[in-house]
Amino acid sequence: MQKRMIVALALLYVVVPVLLNGNNYILSLLVSSLIVAGMAVSWALLGNLGGMVSFGHAAFFGIGGYASALLVTKLGLPVMVAIPAGGVAAVLASVFMLPALRLSGPYFALAILAYAHIFKILATEFSSLTGGSAGLSSIPGLPDIFGFNLSSRLGAYFVVVSLVLVFCWVYGRIRRSDYGTALRAMHDSEDATRVVGVNSLMLKSWMLFVSAFMGGLIGAFNAHVINFLEPDYAFNSAWSVLPIVAAIFGGYRTVYGPAIGAVVIYLVDQLVFKEIMSTGHQLILGAVLAGMILFAPDGLMRLFKRKPREARNAHA
Amino acid sequence: MLTLENVTVRFGGLTAVKDVSFSMGTDQVLGLVGPNGAGKTTLFNAISGLVRPGGGRVMFNGVDLTRKPLHARAHHGLGRTFQIPQPMHELTVRENLLVAQRFGAGKVDHKRLDEIMDFMDLTDQADRNAATELALQELKRLEVAKAMATEPRMLLLDEVLAGLETNGKRHFTARLQDMHKRFKIGILIIEHDIETVSSLCHRVVVLNFGEILADGTPDAVFRDPEVVRSYTGGGEDA
Repeated sequence: MQKRMIVALALLYVVVPVLLNGNNYILSLLVSSLIVAGMAVSWALLGNLGGMVSFGHAAFFGIGGYASALLVTKLGLPVMVAIPAGGVAAVLASVFMLPALRLSGPYFALAILAYAHIFKILATEFSSLTGGSAGLSSIPGLPDIFGFNLSSRLGAYFVVVSLVLVFCWVYGRIRRSDYGTALRAMHDSEDATRVVGVNSLMLKSWMLFVSAFMGGLIGAFNAHVINFLEPDYAFNSAWSVLPIVAAIFGGYRTVYGPAIGAVVIYLVDQLVFKEIMSTGHQLILGAVLAGMILFAPDGLMRLFKRKPREARNAHA
Repeated sequence: MLTLENVTVRFGGLTAVKDVSFSMGTDQVLGLVGPNGAGKTTLFNAISGLVRPGGGRVMFNGVDLTRKPLHARAHHGLGRTFQIPQPMHELTVRENLLVAQRFGAGKVDHKRLDEIMDFMDLTDQADRNAATELALQELKRLEVAKAMATEPRMLLLDEVLAGLETNGKRHFTARLQDMHKRFKIGILIIEHDIETVSSLCHRVVVLNFGEILADGTPDAVFRDPEVVRSYTGGGEDA
């Protein structure tokens, strides 16, 4: 496991940068795919551990982006301080979603969708602060650190890949903890867990806060990469749907599945399907996802993990 | 000491439990009996926090639990089982007990978990998936083991013997008696089998149409003509 981890880190921090340095197009795609990956991990944490299917993660993404951009442009905060503050802003916004935690299944999903829409309306209506539907432009980019330009494609890649890895690590730590075990237990038997002393509402609230923080952080990072925000983009439902697609494709019940699913699906879509079908390439993506759900519902990661056992069984 | 003061539970226009009052100590095993629909499980739900009483109070060791949520009652020493076993899905038997101990008793003590599994004959099933790989009798034992892992002072057992054949029932009854004596846990048990109640319980409370019909020793209660009538739905000799 440790060996595999070292290889993966070497690949992400040495091989990929060396191979792609100078190839801004591919690096841009990779950064975008990793932004989706961050959102996918954030979504999977709430969906898998918290047992809550969210259709409103765009709210955290948008709030994080706007909060960070405003803190930098209006209050003059350093970008690297404003980005985590964007995560905190998303957590504060998620406090308003707490009443929805008493709901379950489709009711929760719909309530969260409605909340996300409210924040989009707020961003549009508070035009004196947010620039309204015209949005915010000239958002400062990532700074230089120790002479290394983080606002370059390569710099942004290093930042976002680090964020996604930290998200996966946090997700894994929570999942392996007693809290993670209790959260898994709550999925189909909430009363059974509450009756033995598990404060299910508190655990779900924490998952919502952690998930919101991750979503807000990624949204804030994205705002300083693209240097522009407007409500239709920042709160676009794509920021809710793409992470779900990616997490399901990669295997939302695994720690690395959502992130790997996001990178694979985004890059394959942009580099392969788009070449085959420049308009409507999402149709092929949809068909691939449908096939995945039908034939490998546990996702890409489980598909690879199952192989050795199947092979052993075949030999037995 | 568990004390119910005028506990009333209503579902819309239906009063499922009406003005029920009684007290029991942790040194007792009390049988809660009554015909189907008498309000026994609803009363259990009110005590354990699954439903909020429309009136009255639930006190345990001097603490008013009436408005406390389900999980908080476990922290105060009230454990319960469900009529239909509710193992925690996706978890093994050991993990089920671990969650119960960690969150109910507020500590993790693997030695104690092994003791509980040994006591409830679950050691061989420790690594099995609780939801998919246990037989009914094992699931029933897991229900009690989970509740025990929370280190309760009082256990509410909802028809934990239902569905077991005669030998299994006797075995389980002996185990509950042993648990009561060894761990000094008070037991409030819903049970239909009069023979089991008579052999296990010090005291019996009979509910009928949500109200207390009789309260006393098993011998006295099961000879009460009103109780016999409520069970048979007719005369004493029916």
